[in-house]
Amino acid sequence: MGDILRMIVVLSALCGLSGFALSYLKMVTAPGIEEQVLTYVQGPAIHKVFTGLDNNPIADRKAFSLPDGREVRVFPARRGGLLVGVAIEDKGKGYGGAVGVMVGFNVADDTLAGIGTTDLKETPGLGMRIAEPAFTGQFIGKPLPVALKAQGGGIDAVSGATISSAGAVTAVNNAAAVYKALKAEILKTWGK
Amino acid sequence: MEIFQLFIAAIFVNNIVLAQYLGNCPYLGCSKEKSVALGMGGAVIFVIVVSTLCTWLMQRYVLAPYGLGYLQTIVFIVVIASLVQFVEMFLKKMVPPLYAALGIFLPLITTNCAVMGVAILVQREEYDLMTSLLYGLASGMGFTLALLLMAGIRERLDTCRLPKALAGTPIALIMAGLMSLAFMGFKGMAQ
Amino acid sequence: MSVMHEFTKGLWQDLPPFRLVLGLCPTLAVTSSANNGLGMGAAVIFVLVLSNMLISMVRGIIPKKVRIACFIVIAASLVVAVELLMQAYAYPLYQQLGIFVPLIVVNCIILARAEAFAAKNGVAASVADGLGIGLGFTLSLTFLGSLREILGNGTWFGIPIMWEGFEPFRIMVQAPGAFICLGLILAGMNVINVWQARRKGLREPDPVGCSGCGCCSLDKKD
Repeated sequence: MGDILRMIVVLSALCGLSGFALSYLKMVTAPGIEEQVLTYVQGPAIHKVFTGLDNNPIADRKAFSLPDGREVRVFPARRGGLLVGVAIEDKGKGYGGAVGVMVGFNVADDTLAGIGTTDLKETPGLGMRIAEPAFTGQFIGKPLPVALKAQGGGIDAVSGATISSAGAVTAVNNAAAVYKALKAEILKTWGK
Repeated sequence: MEIFQLFIAAIFVNNIVLAQYLGNCPYLGCSKEKSVALGMGGAVIFVIVVSTLCTWLMQRYVLAPYGLGYLQTIVFIVVIASLVQFVEMFLKKMVPPLYAALGIFLPLITTNCAVMGVAILVQREEYDLMTSLLYGLASGMGFTLALLLMAGIRERLDTCRLPKALAGTPIALIMAGLMSLAFMGFKGMAQ
Repeated sequence: MSVMHEFTKGLWQDLPPFRLVLGLCPTLAVTSSANNGLGMGAAVIFVLVLSNMLISMVRGIIPKKVRIACFIVIAASLVVAVELLMQAYAYPLYQQLGIFVPLIVVNCIILARAEAFAAKNGVAASVADGLGIGLGFTLSLTFLGSLREILGNGTWFGIPIMWEGFEPFRIMVQAPGAFICLGLILAGMNVINVWQARRKGLREPDPVGCSGCGCCSLDKKD
């Protein structure tokens, strides 16, 4: 009996200790992890959309809250000290899960500055091709909202990957909705 | 059709041993005889499917809702280890014929990274439960296929004259490389 | 003296994975470049040294029956710690190594050293053992990674080092190259072992094999 008691005590003490230590470590590393994920996952997409910036959009990011209570991260892009655009990430439903897209907006005329994919689990060779410039390049300079040609818009879907393409378009329009809702606040925060 | 593709992809194209480098220890250690290989393969298929089920449910209903995703590794290994123990006891009591066939292999499976690897992979790919189970089944079958082929070749090799330095593990590894080369021919059949 | 011996034995006498064939999956999977091999090795050193230290510290109070469970919990906690630290300070490496970071927990090196050494020896010796084996593993992985990267990519730690017009053997950085390279290295190890034994006038040693890890105790039963 004493043996079993000792086993239970030792095992639960061990689990408790490790759980406690790990949750502390998690707390300590959380800001660092967020920074790294943003730099290596979102960062490249932002820099593909906006080139030649003179600020670091990742470091200057700010969280805004939407009217429905959702928090969104907005990345400002400056050239020559002026706010030229903002980047917002959003998701749409693709073929193999959510399609994550970083969407850049020109603040001067509310058009798209471009898009870059952040999170893709589509079929290689088909859906994955929505990450290529042949598809993403079509968005540059387009007014909002966008739609696929099949729905009467101006975006050519990647052939054989309509669902993935539609997912990207949905993500862009979702981000556009966020942008519209926050535009006034964004301009107030970062100025002209 | 999609399920068929998933199977082809998991067994041939992304074979868990030959393309994803998982489960190499038993692949080399238990491939000396076909009968041993078959038993090990059967045990791995069985444990992969059951552990994928348990870890998938664990992730969906315990880890994800409480934001404990970072504890995934520790929870999965504990679940798999206790599962293997439990399966062993259950089979011994309830299904003795199956225990006689797979029993001796079960304790070895806890540290088989194919099991843990599949459990983590289906989470990273965000498969739903049905797809996860099918993927687990197909991966297990891919493992068994690779193991059986290897055992067949090694039984023949026993009667061959080999340079002394190559005998045993080195030649097995080189053959695994050639087999992996052959399996690369399946690329493009399915993804 | 004996602590020094525990440390140095991991560097040659029990060098994993070339002489003590353990932990093959990460060895094969992450050595497509020297850098990845080094990173994986560093993670394994961290886990192995700390797990050896902790296990030898608590070895007195752990009941025999649940010792494996305790080892697994300790090793898994350390692996989670490595995952968090790697994400916070070396995210690109974390992405490169993929699922092989959490899979350190099922790497037989960790459990084998815990069971065979740390559970029976003092703290200082266990740390030395972990450090030696871990360092040996890191050097081996870096060596294999360098070989594959140079032949398969023409670079070393990302720097081009081969002559102009060198056509890389792409196959070396893919799965078949991993298996074949490791096989040839193990064969080379056998040759060296035999040669050494002959020079010292000892009987020829057994060829290296994976019977060193307890994973496949089947071999011994047959």
